[in-house]
Amino acid sequence: MSRRNRDTVAGYAFLAPSLLGVGGFLLLPVVVVLGISLFRWDLVSPAHWTALDNYRSVLTDPAFGRSLAVTAGFVLLVIPVQTALGLAAAVLLDQRLPGSAWFRAILVLPWISAPLALGVVWRWLFDPSDGAVNQLLGHRVEWLTSPVLALPSVAAVTVWTNVGYVALFFLAGLAGIPPQYAEAARIDGAGPWQGFRRITWPLLRPTTFFVLATGGISSFQVFDTVYAMTQGGPAGRTEVVAYAIYREAFVEFRMGRAAAMSVLLFLVLITVTIAQQSYFRRRTTYEMG
Amino acid sequence: MRRVVVTYLALGVGAVLILAPYLLSVQTSVKTPRQFAQQPLLALPDPVTGSNYAELVVGGHTLIPPLVITVQVVLVVVLGQLTCSVLAAYAFARLDFPGRDALFWVYLATLMVPAVAVLVPRFVLLSEAGLVNTFAGIVLPSMFGSPYAIFLLRQFFRAIPQELLDAARIDGAGHPRVLRHVILPLSRPILATLLIITVVTHWNDFLWPLVVTSGVRWQVLTVAVAGLQSQYQGNWTLVMAATTLATMPLLVLFAIFQKHIVRSITITGMR
Repeated sequence: MSRRNRDTVAGYAFLAPSLLGVGGFLLLPVVVVLGISLFRWDLVSPAHWTALDNYRSVLTDPAFGRSLAVTAGFVLLVIPVQTALGLAAAVLLDQRLPGSAWFRAILVLPWISAPLALGVVWRWLFDPSDGAVNQLLGHRVEWLTSPVLALPSVAAVTVWTNVGYVALFFLAGLAGIPPQYAEAARIDGAGPWQGFRRITWPLLRPTTFFVLATGGISSFQVFDTVYAMTQGGPAGRTEVVAYAIYREAFVEFRMGRAAAMSVLLFLVLITVTIAQQSYFRRRTTYEMG
Repeated sequence: MRRVVVTYLALGVGAVLILAPYLLSVQTSVKTPRQFAQQPLLALPDPVTGSNYAELVVGGHTLIPPLVITVQVVLVVVLGQLTCSVLAAYAFARLDFPGRDALFWVYLATLMVPAVAVLVPRFVLLSEAGLVNTFAGIVLPSMFGSPYAIFLLRQFFRAIPQELLDAARIDGAGHPRVLRHVILPLSRPILATLLIITVVTHWNDFLWPLVVTSGVRWQVLTVAVAGLQSQYQGNWTLVMAATTLATMPLLVLFAIFQKHIVRSITITGMR
């Protein structure tokens, strides 16, 4: 056997297990979800071909529209706040005062804890009568059962979880900016704010893009925190898309509709990703090491 | 000077806000339900009781079986995922065969597939295979390698100088031996990183085990904690002991490998 043939055999042998994984659990599901979305099916009785009925029913269902709006609202509450706080924390940590490493480690703690467990802890902290938040405030606020406060409360917990993670990326970004730049700005008479605004912030754009893109995509799929804190309530005010899909499929057993919702979520996320990328590609004209 | 004070003050406030929920839940977990009901929240536990933990270890609501299953799931997924990812990354980085680049693009494209969007079809596929509510059902979707790990490993393998591989090949080593004796020893940092990230991700995983298992037989820790909460609403001392047990192992791991974990998160952009 020639070396090239040997490499071909070896190549596919080495790839075989991952082909099984990628093919069987990523590519095949994408095809299967499209298929299921064309049927009415409860997992038990035979499936009925309904063509595009599921899409029609999902798209005209006010509950699905609401869950998209809730998800968008959630992302819009979480992303700006966690990015701003993460950046602020990174700038503070970047001064490298003694003890910074400790603060950095503490900020990251929630990120390595199970979101489900943290959600349970926060459900207790926000409990109207037994919870720490109200006991510290000294009066009763219905954090998780008020239609107005429930979503911001879940968003606040998500921000609390993610700030340290975002800060780590901004810290790495700040470390990549040569100190001579800030020095040059200072010599030219720029104050600290101007230096940040004109030098640091533009140079952090690739980091900002990464943090916004990954943060946006993951908060669009939030599930564990919602499951632990509100179960989608009150009256659907925190029913994000992931929770709606879960309920449709595994509580209501309407697999076809759940599949149609999954396809629509997929399309939304791909559109957002492509839009984000082309926006940032247009605005980022330099390379960073 | 003022700047230093302001910085410490801001970092201190942040640290308190992050730590308070952990400390409050640990403190509550060592109170009796009566103490919890009658005394203010910040009152120190007096006496400190281990009864909530005893209930969760040897009592009627033992979390030991879910803990054992979680450990098994993490072990199988980590071993499988790292092995399969290393093999695939070696093929993509170091072998030349027809279809390689096209396949690599397909792998990259699957990074765009949101986990939530494939939840339903994955469940349906495993259900058709009769694997719902089995151990295999929990681990199969993630044990054959992850495209992201493959991507990171490929980058790393490509940076290894060709001369090192050629030397081994001249000595008669085949691909498996080159991989084992040349590539892997040089790749310890990235392997450690992926190991940490995979352990954390799968220890904390909730949605997939929730969907693919039912009843207590194959409950993992997160699912058991969620069940405990909905079953014992208001019994917060017990529930806080459970969340403490579920988060503690990774916090201990973090305390030991803090620097490495922090670095790993930045390298991989862990999801």
